[in-house]
Amino acid sequence: MRLIVKNLNILRSIINTINTSFEIKEIVESAGNNLPSLFEFSALGVLWKEESTLYLYQEESCPPSFTKEVAQNMVRVFSVLGEEPNDLARVTLQVEKRKLRPSHMAMDSKATLKSYLVLPLAVEDEIIGCVSLNSDQPNAFDAQDLQFFSVIGYQMAATLKHFQRFSSVKTMAVYDTLTTLYNRRYMEERLIVEAQKSFYSGSSLSLVMIDIDHFKKVNDTFGHTEGDKVLREIASLLKTSVRKKDTVARYGGEEFILILPEAGLEETTMIAERIRRLVESKLFEVGQAHINITVSLGISNFPGHNPKSKEDLVRMADQALYDAKRGGRNRVCLFNPVQK
Amino acid sequence: MTKEVKGGKWTSDLVLDLYSNLLSMVWEVVSALIGEAILELLFNLSIKKIGEKYSFLKPLKVSEEGVFMDEMREDLRNLPPIELHRGFQSLINHLLNLFSALTEGVISREVFPKVFPKVKEAERLVSQK
Repeated sequence: MRLIVKNLNILRSIINTINTSFEIKEIVESAGNNLPSLFEFSALGVLWKEESTLYLYQEESCPPSFTKEVAQNMVRVFSVLGEEPNDLARVTLQVEKRKLRPSHMAMDSKATLKSYLVLPLAVEDEIIGCVSLNSDQPNAFDAQDLQFFSVIGYQMAATLKHFQRFSSVKTMAVYDTLTTLYNRRYMEERLIVEAQKSFYSGSSLSLVMIDIDHFKKVNDTFGHTEGDKVLREIASLLKTSVRKKDTVARYGGEEFILILPEAGLEETTMIAERIRRLVESKLFEVGQAHINITVSLGISNFPGHNPKSKEDLVRMADQALYDAKRGGRNRVCLFNPVQK
Repeated sequence: MTKEVKGGKWTSDLVLDLYSNLLSMVWEVVSALIGEAILELLFNLSIKKIGEKYSFLKPLKVSEEGVFMDEMREDLRNLPPIELHRGFQSLINHLLNLFSALTEGVISREVFPKVFPKVKEAERLVSQK
């Protein structure tokens, strides 16, 4: 009885997280993070029809052959349900690996798919994808697992359908209309999730705050329309300079912020330096002129800088950005605890 | 309800009764496992697919409350029992295939022991002279 109550509480919490998600990636991540408390499994798979993308949320020790088997199986089941695609080659595979089980239970490199549960993601007679739990163990799932999983599957479908219906509202709530980057509100929501994850698991998390140097001069000299063009170009450059799992947002005005999960100081500095050099070397076309623009960047990191909260992380990145500005601009600075 | 007609043959009514009960039983067991909404979808997919060959199945009504064949019953009782049996058997087989494709043995383990004897019973009924 106590176990059922515990499971129901976990289930309630998962549903709540799914309901408050902003996009497919978040739904998959929140489910992937919480499902190990309910089930023993190796990979969670979500196949979403709208963009023919198969999201696989996996235990980090899952071997590539296992990933391929899961993908093939999901595509097969999706086609059995009478929906396209029926061919793995037409599906974009996006794999997210996370530590879902203790090290001593790491998967064998020769592990194969031994059992699974797949459920259609369906709302109002329309199949919009499917979701699966997959295991390298035979008969890993029973009737009770299926009962819990079907509740989660149904909730995921309802939320995805909601996204499709209100995509324009969602777009306004999540994206910055000028740059099409995430907006500050979304960034703050995302930071809550990533900070919780990192503070809980001890995994690294970095923030990079970026400010365009002397941007006011661009606006004053060439006008706001040309200034907006520069913002869009830098936004596009930022988007292509980060990893898939990173979040790039417009923080306000000419300020941007990057959330880099599982990035240590060294990797973050490398990314930030790359961005600085890319901006510095690019010629921006404003009006009839071609000009050089530079950016200053400030970095904070958990656990490197020992922040106690997400607010600390933001404050530290901001402080580092201030140091970069004060140090002469066009540079990357790490948070310096001595100046705290 | 009359179960026999002239000539001592079993009527289609008996086959319809049997499959009506069988579908209700499948609904009851499987809806407890995967919920009514997903099961409704799987039933509708199966009816659409098998209805291509056995068009008399198309009017089967499925909702989140279950499977209902009351409205179609009058039309169906004029069909040969063997035809009814084949159509409904195909429908059940298709559903079982879907259940297996989705959950391997998890649903089948619960449903198959209840379905198999009923289908055998239907086979016996339609083969009786």
